[in-house]
Amino acid sequence: MRKHFHLLLALAVVLVMPLVMHSGSLASEVLIFGLAAMGCNLLLGYTGLLSFGQGIFFGLGSYTIALTLTRWPLPMPLALAAAVAMGALGAAAVGWIAIRQRGTYFVMLTLAFAQMFYFMAYSFPRLTGGDNGLLDIPRPSIAVAGHTLWPLVSPWQYYGFVAAVFLVTFWFLQKASNSIFGRTLLAVRDNEERAGAIGYNLKLLKLQAFVISGAVTGLAGALHAMMTGIAPLSSAEYHTSEMILVMTVIGGTGNLLASLLGSAFYVLLGDWLSTLWPRWLLLLGVVLMVVSLGMQRGLWGLGETLWHLVRRKDRAAAAPAALGDKA
Amino acid sequence: MSTPILLEAVGVEKRYDKFAALAGVDLRVRANTVHSVIGPNGAGKTTLFHMLTGTKTVSGGRIVFDGHDVTHEPDHRRVQRGMARSFQVTSLFLTLPVRENLRLAAQGTAPSHALNCWHAPVGARANADAVASVLARLGLERHADTPVGNLSHGQQRRLEVGMALAARPKAIFLDEPTSGMGIDDLDEMKRLIQGLKVEHTVVLIEHNMNIVMDISDTVTVMQLGRVLAEGLPHEIRSDDRVRSAYLGNMITGGKA
Amino acid sequence: MSIYLLQVINGIGIGMLYFLLAVGLSIVFGLLRFVNFAHGAFYLLGAYFCYQMTRWGLSFWLSLLVVPLVVGAVGWATEKLVLRHVYDKPHEFHILVTVGLALVVQELVIVQWGPLGENVPVPDLLQGVVMWGNFVYPKYRLFVIGFTAVLAVGLWYLLEGTRLGSAVRAGSESTEMVSLLGVNVFRIFSLVFALGAATAALAGVLAAPIRGAEPFMGIEALGVAFVIVVVGGLGSFTGALVGGLLIGIVQSVMSTLWPEGARLMIYVAMAAVLLLLPHGLLGRKG
Repeated sequence: MRKHFHLLLALAVVLVMPLVMHSGSLASEVLIFGLAAMGCNLLLGYTGLLSFGQGIFFGLGSYTIALTLTRWPLPMPLALAAAVAMGALGAAAVGWIAIRQRGTYFVMLTLAFAQMFYFMAYSFPRLTGGDNGLLDIPRPSIAVAGHTLWPLVSPWQYYGFVAAVFLVTFWFLQKASNSIFGRTLLAVRDNEERAGAIGYNLKLLKLQAFVISGAVTGLAGALHAMMTGIAPLSSAEYHTSEMILVMTVIGGTGNLLASLLGSAFYVLLGDWLSTLWPRWLLLLGVVLMVVSLGMQRGLWGLGETLWHLVRRKDRAAAAPAALGDKA
Repeated sequence: MSTPILLEAVGVEKRYDKFAALAGVDLRVRANTVHSVIGPNGAGKTTLFHMLTGTKTVSGGRIVFDGHDVTHEPDHRRVQRGMARSFQVTSLFLTLPVRENLRLAAQGTAPSHALNCWHAPVGARANADAVASVLARLGLERHADTPVGNLSHGQQRRLEVGMALAARPKAIFLDEPTSGMGIDDLDEMKRLIQGLKVEHTVVLIEHNMNIVMDISDTVTVMQLGRVLAEGLPHEIRSDDRVRSAYLGNMITGGKA
Repeated sequence: MSIYLLQVINGIGIGMLYFLLAVGLSIVFGLLRFVNFAHGAFYLLGAYFCYQMTRWGLSFWLSLLVVPLVVGAVGWATEKLVLRHVYDKPHEFHILVTVGLALVVQELVIVQWGPLGENVPVPDLLQGVVMWGNFVYPKYRLFVIGFTAVLAVGLWYLLEGTRLGSAVRAGSESTEMVSLLGVNVFRIFSLVFALGAATAALAGVLAAPIRGAEPFMGIEALGVAFVIVVVGGLGSFTGALVGGLLIGIVQSVMSTLWPEGARLMIYVAMAAVLLLLPHGLLGRKG
C-alpha cells in the first residue's frame, strides 16, 4: 500500500507544479534532478555507498544525447536510450574498479574517477567540445511518419514529457527498491560482512546497484541537455556530483520520494536565492552540516517527526479520560 | 556407528606476517555429530572457523567439505555448498526485523535470486517455510517483526544460531553461541544445539564446559595454533595435557 | 639543459608539494579513520591567507610561519566544535559534514576576495634563477624542494621519535587501548586534525607564488591529494612521499609530451596502480 501511496504522491506533485509555478524549465529541473538524486539514493540510502561520481554519469548522459541528436542523428527515443545505456556502461566501469575497495577508499576513488572523467572531457574537445561543451542540441518533438504526436517546443510541453519519463522511471525504481534485490541491498547497507557471510556476492550486488544508478543519472543528464540545449563541461565537474549528493542527503535517504523533496528544495531555493545573494551555496553548505550533525533523516525525516508530534497531540487532546484510567 | 566424514581439514595454516595463528591443524568432523573445539584464549579456534567457513583465506593446507575441495572458495560459495556459521560477536542486521533477518539468511543459499530487481520477496519467493520453522525452533515467533536491535542479548544470540539454521545447511559452525548469556538462556541454547544434530552437523566453539561435556560427540582441544588432543568428552576431561593447558579449573566446569 | 631533466626536477618540486598536501590527509585518516573532505579547503585558506598577508605588506616569510598556525587553529576548532559531534553517526556523515564545511569555506573565500583569483608575488630573496654551469633553475622552486624536504624530516621525527608520535601511531591501531593508557585521546584527535590542516595550509602558502590563489583550487587539490594517498597507501607517511613524488614526476613529464592531458594522466596512473595493487604501493589493509 505504501508504495502505491508514494507513486500517487509523486503524481500529485507532478500535476500540482504547473499550477503553482511560473517556469516550465524550473519545474522540469525539479523532476530531472529528482531522478538524479534518486539514482544517488539507490547507492547511498539503499546500499550504503557514498558516491562522488554521479557527475560522471550525468555528464555521459548529456554528451551522449548531444552526439546522438546532432552528429549521427538518431530518433529521439533511441538517442535517449543510448544516453541511458552510456550512463549504465560508465557506472559499470567505475563500479567495477571502485567496488573492490570498501568504506572510505571507495568514496575517494569515486571522487578521483569523477576528476578523471572531467579531465578526459576537457582533453578530447572533438568529442565533448572541451571547455565550450556541445551546443545547439535539438529538442525533437515526438513524431511518427512526419506527423507530430507530441510537440516539445515550449517549456511546459517539454515538462509534460519530462513528467511522463519521471513517473515511469520512478515506478521502475520503486519496483527495484521493493524487490528482492532492493531488500538485499538494505542488508548490505546494514551489515556488509554478515551479508557476505550468509551467501551474497557483494560485488555483484553493488555493481548492479551502480548500473541502475548510472542509467537513471544518465537519463537525467540527457533530459537536462535537451532542456537547456547544451551539454556543458560543468556537468562533469565535481560541483555537479556534489550537488546531487547534497540534494539526496538533504531530502533524506530513507526512501526514494524524499529525493524529490531534496531536489525541489535545492532547485527552488537556488532559483529564489541566487538573484538575492549570489553566494547562496554558503547556506546550502550550512544546511548540509546541520543535517549531518542533527537531522540525518533529512527533510523527509523532519516531516515525519513533525507529523508524529502533531498526531500525538491530537490523540492526547481527543482522549483525556484515557490518561486518567491508566493512573 | 560412525557416520561418514563430512568435513576434513589437513595441515591448515594461517600466518599474519610472522605470527602463525594456525600452525598446521588437522580436523575430521563426522556427519550428524556435535564436534566441539575448545582451548584457551589465543589457541586459534576462531581463526580455524574463519578458515573452515571461508571468511578468511588460508596460508596453507587443505579443506575438503562434502567431497569438494573448498580451500580457495570464498565464504559465499561455501554457503551454497551447505556451510553456515554464527559469529562470536553478534553480527545481525540490527535495523531490520527478525523475520527479515531470517528471510535474508534463507535467501542466501540462492544468491542469484538476490539480483532480481523486479519481483518483491512475497509469496513463493519469501522462503516463508524456512523462516517459520526457524522462528518456531528459536521460540521467537512473538518477536518476528521486532527490529533485531531491540531484542535482548540472549534473544540475539539465539537468532545468531537461527541465521545459520535458516540456510538449511549440512554443517553449522557456532562460535561461542552462549557468550554473555545468563543462566536461564543457557538451558534453552543447550537444548537448541542438541536438537540440531538430527538434521545437521554441528561444529562448536565453546568455553562453557558444562555444555561441551554434556552434548558433544567429539572434543578437539587446541593450543597455540595446533591440536593438542582429540577424543570423547570423558577422555578429554581426564587428559593430563589438557588439564595443564587450561591450568586446572575450566575442565571441571567451574565456569557457568 | 635537457628538457627532461628540467621536467623531472619540476616534477620533484611538484611532488614535494603534493607530499605536503597529502601527508596531513593520510595521518588524519590513520588516526580518525575518515577522510577529511575539507582538506582542500585548508589548502585554499593557506593560499588566500598568504595572499592577504602580502597585501598587507607583511613578508612572505612571516606568512610561512603564521598562516599554518592560524589554519591549524581553525582545524583544531573544527574538530572540537563540529567533528566531535559526528563520530557516533554513520560514517557517511563524517564525510558529508566536511563536504559542507568545504563548501562554506569556499563560498566565504569568494565573498571576501571575489571569484577571480589573485597573484601572489615571489618573495624578493627568491626571485630569479640559480645558474650553475649548464644548470638553470628558478630559485623559488629550489627553495620549495629544500624546504619541504626539511619539513618531511621534521614530520618524520615527530611521528616516529616523539611521545606524541607514538600516541598517534598507537591510537591508529586502537583508540581504546590508548585511552586506557591514560592518554587523552580526544585531545590527540584535535591535535592531529590541526596538524593535518596546518600542513595543507603550508602547502597552500608554498604553492601560492607559483600558482596564485584561486577559489576552486581547493577542489583540485582534494582530488590530487586523494590520488596520492590512494597510490601511496592510506595511513602511510612514506606512501605519501613516494606517491607524491611519483605523481609529481608523471604530471611534469606528461606536460611536455601532452600538455592538455597532463592532469588526466595522474588519474590514469592512479587507476593503473589500483588495478595492480589495491592498497596502494605502501598501504596497509583496512
